[in-house]
Amino acid sequence: MIELNHVTFRYKGISEGGVYDLSLKIRGGEVVLLCGASGCGKTTAARLINGLIPHYYKGELTGSVTVNGRDIAQTELYDLAGVVGTVFQNPRSQFFAVDTDGEITFGAENIGMPPKEILARKNAVAGAMQIEKLLGRSIFGLSGGEKQIIACASVSVLSPDIIVLDEPSSNLDCEAIEKLKDIVAQWKSQGKTIVIAEHRLYFLRELADRMLILENGRITKELNAEEIKKLTNADTENLGLRPMTLPEIHGSHQNTDIQGDVLLLEDFRFTYKDGKHGINIPRLELPANRIIAITGHNGAGKSTLARNICGLERKCRGTLTMNGKKLKAKARLRHCYMIMQDVNHQLFTESVRDEVMLSMTDKSLNDQQKADAILAQLDLTEYADKHPMALSGGQKQRTAIASGIASSKPILIFDEPTSGLDLAHMKQVSDQLKKLRDMGKTVIVVTHDHELIRSCCDHIVRLENGCAAENCPLGE
Amino acid sequence: MKALKLDPRTKLFMIFAVSFIVMVNAVTPLEWAVRIAVTAIPILLLAAEGRYASAIRFTVCYGAALALMRFWLSAESTGVFSAILVGYCGIVVQFMPAMIMAWYVIRTTKIGEFMSAMQKMHIPDGISISLAVVMRFFPTIKEEYAYINDAMRMRGISFGGGRYTKMIEYRLVPLMFSCLNIGEELSAAAVTRGLGAPVKRTGTVQLRIGAADIAVTGFFAASVMLFVFAKYIR
Repeated sequence: MIELNHVTFRYKGISEGGVYDLSLKIRGGEVVLLCGASGCGKTTAARLINGLIPHYYKGELTGSVTVNGRDIAQTELYDLAGVVGTVFQNPRSQFFAVDTDGEITFGAENIGMPPKEILARKNAVAGAMQIEKLLGRSIFGLSGGEKQIIACASVSVLSPDIIVLDEPSSNLDCEAIEKLKDIVAQWKSQGKTIVIAEHRLYFLRELADRMLILENGRITKELNAEEIKKLTNADTENLGLRPMTLPEIHGSHQNTDIQGDVLLLEDFRFTYKDGKHGINIPRLELPANRIIAITGHNGAGKSTLARNICGLERKCRGTLTMNGKKLKAKARLRHCYMIMQDVNHQLFTESVRDEVMLSMTDKSLNDQQKADAILAQLDLTEYADKHPMALSGGQKQRTAIASGIASSKPILIFDEPTSGLDLAHMKQVSDQLKKLRDMGKTVIVVTHDHELIRSCCDHIVRLENGCAAENCPLGE
Repeated sequence: MKALKLDPRTKLFMIFAVSFIVMVNAVTPLEWAVRIAVTAIPILLLAAEGRYASAIRFTVCYGAALALMRFWLSAESTGVFSAILVGYCGIVVQFMPAMIMAWYVIRTTKIGEFMSAMQKMHIPDGISISLAVVMRFFPTIKEEYAYINDAMRMRGISFGGGRYTKMIEYRLVPLMFSCLNIGEELSAAAVTRGLGAPVKRTGTVQLRIGAADIAVTGFFAASVMLFVFAKYIR
């Protein structure tokens, strides 16, 4: 069904992420999992199958890729549209339409399918995936999980034999991942051939027929279904992969009294314009100088709470009391620093050093020395003169952290810092959070990454429908 | 009022008619009457979309601008202050109505409806797809801009440290990078779903001209004719 024959590909102008002499045969109806660290070439392998390489991403290609008997290099992308469907990582940037119906029918309209058939297929897919309640909605009002399900539906409408998923779970919470798992199971039962490039593996444990581990563009290990089920957490750790089981998170209810300084949040009430989403937290005590995880489902109000703590919502009347001072929204802006999920939004200058110096509030002569000291702490010294946009995702994130440290604000807030990160990078983030705690900062992390919570958080706040359902130290 | 639904073709005609009438110079009372009547429509549309506060705010600004132009300003006004006032009045009276119309059209038109309307008018797919991408991008730019603004407020650099060039640079550079990235991923996703296939695109959206369309089109056609008559023929 899919055959890669001694394929070597290097992106134009980028040394990372290529594949070398990759040979691979995938039979019809198989579910194949591609995994490995970032830059190992798994996304490249996925793009070779859906034709984005060589038709969209340019580079040097040798060897041949055959899908359903067609030579990919000789087949136009639009001819592949009905054969290979793709679900991408970022729900924000894979939608063409602004409404769900238009999005689901988009592909079928492009290849000129008769309108009656498109509508029949749309309804059949919506019924099968149980997403009738999502029809007729605006894309911009959906949660990340809902968007990803619409992306799956819009692939399903074309009923391709092969479905490629490129890190589909990166932005999803556990509940949405369950839904994604159901959809993949449904596709499998329909006999589709499925190729998934992923970091988070636990939800595919029962579904994957084969697992290929890539390293530097080569397949280093191949496991069959039996071997996948036998993998222990120690095995995946050795392979540099995320675990095959979802770590349980428990709060400890024994000593709920907070030791040491306390941050007291009072009257945090905020509702968005739609009148439905928001938060309603009359009182919440958080320990200072700890790493606090804020968890909850997509849409439970995690990011809203973070934005309100930071003081970004002017309408919020809530106050934060720390060190005996009561801070309103505007004052909180001067005490909190948020590292956003997409750090591209917060890098403004032309070099990493300028970025750090921009944040320094006390303008003294030895600014540059201080900036360099902070850069050294975050292993950024060699990039000090580089343009922030020329860095990798992890380096950009560290640059943002560096300017947070430079601002000498006591509270640092992270919004989903590990979405789409492999094991090694997740651990790196976890180490940085610990380092910040050691510097005396209070770190608040909005996340649904259980592995991150287990590895570094001290305290957990679980939100449900905008209310704090749980607030306690993290137990064993 | 809330369920007002217009055909995209009617909406395009509305943009054209409103822009023409409010932007062309009006002199006589009849021309002014037509212009003010036409400006009432964008205000009603704001209200129809539930933006009552904006509708009232714009009505007040518009009234103030009209009063200023009628009683204080004339062609002979000089000085910096009156120059600023003339600028203000020009923007409110001659640009805002058209801007509000454009906002309304982008907000209420689904991409599918727009594509079907363009097809019915026999506009080539290439042009309508490009226009659709532009429409698709407006909400994205707004979202991205809001994030960047938040980041700037958090770092206390909203005013660029007092330098105007920095104020603009800090906003535009990250915005351009995000839009480039999103644009690239968006088109990768679109081509894997057959965008650009050399077949005639089909559309699932059935467009129907309703009573509201006929009424609105009639009103604007009459206004344009009256305005042209008042200005050029009489």
